[in-house]
Amino acid sequence: MKTVEQAVLRYRLMAYVTGTVLIVLCFVGIPLQVAGHPVVANDVGVVHGILYIIYLIFAWRLSRMLRLANKPTVIMLLAGTIPIMTFIVERWITRRFIRPALYGDAPSAQAVRS
Amino acid sequence: MENAAAAGNAVPAGDAVSAPGAAQEFGSGPAWRFLIQPRWLAWHLLMVVSFWGMLWLGDWQLHRALSGNGLSWAYTFEWPLFAGFAVVFWARTIRDEFRIKRGGVTASPDAEPADLPARIVGVRAVQVSTAEPADDEDEELTAYNAYLARLNAEVKRHGRWHGLG
Repeated sequence: MKTVEQAVLRYRLMAYVTGTVLIVLCFVGIPLQVAGHPVVANDVGVVHGILYIIYLIFAWRLSRMLRLANKPTVIMLLAGTIPIMTFIVERWITRRFIRPALYGDAPSAQAVRS
Repeated sequence: MENAAAAGNAVPAGDAVSAPGAAQEFGSGPAWRFLIQPRWLAWHLLMVVSFWGMLWLGDWQLHRALSGNGLSWAYTFEWPLFAGFAVVFWARTIRDEFRIKRGGVTASPDAEPADLPARIVGVRAVQVSTAEPADDEDEELTAYNAYLARLNAEVKRHGRWHGLG
């Protein structure tokens, strides 16, 4: 199961990195830009743009491996563009799909727990 | 076209969709039938809109870049890339759906699904050849197989969330 685990790790890594950079962009860069210092927003914006491309690729590959339907796939891919959403969606995908796939936790039991 | 007629399926204007090899038939009709379900039509529409929308955004950034906004060059190339991603992702999603449909004709819950990505098939082959039970890998593989079997069952029941939604 190394391939699935690797896909999960790559997705998680990019979810956290992209999410963190996006939070910096939105809650530090944009206020500074409004205040007249656009340097942070510009640089961090470009960095996020590049990271998001990598995030898309890893999230897509995991989505195929878990055979997600269209809706969760689209939610997963778009999460990288909305502040904080990467973290929320990562937790949801983990509970709903990754843990059932890797450790056999039944989705129904998960639903009760959450 | 002949196939559709032979199966007694009157599908006006649907023939263009059934590319060679795509008209695999089972159960209620040709495999590509799912593509013209309302839910899938909505997805197609969303994809077309987002594709052209992203190209339009790229064009907008190009104009901004040409009028002196250096930062826009990055986005000038990024938006068409995203539009390309959308097309590739969509094509592969539909391809996978066809594979699942074809696999679904004969597959029993514990049968070897024919539509797994090659890497996973490889892992499964390893499992078959090494009959050593009860180490971590095997537990995970069992869990993953159970997950796939559950997906199959869920798809057969309604197909809403997991498999074919």
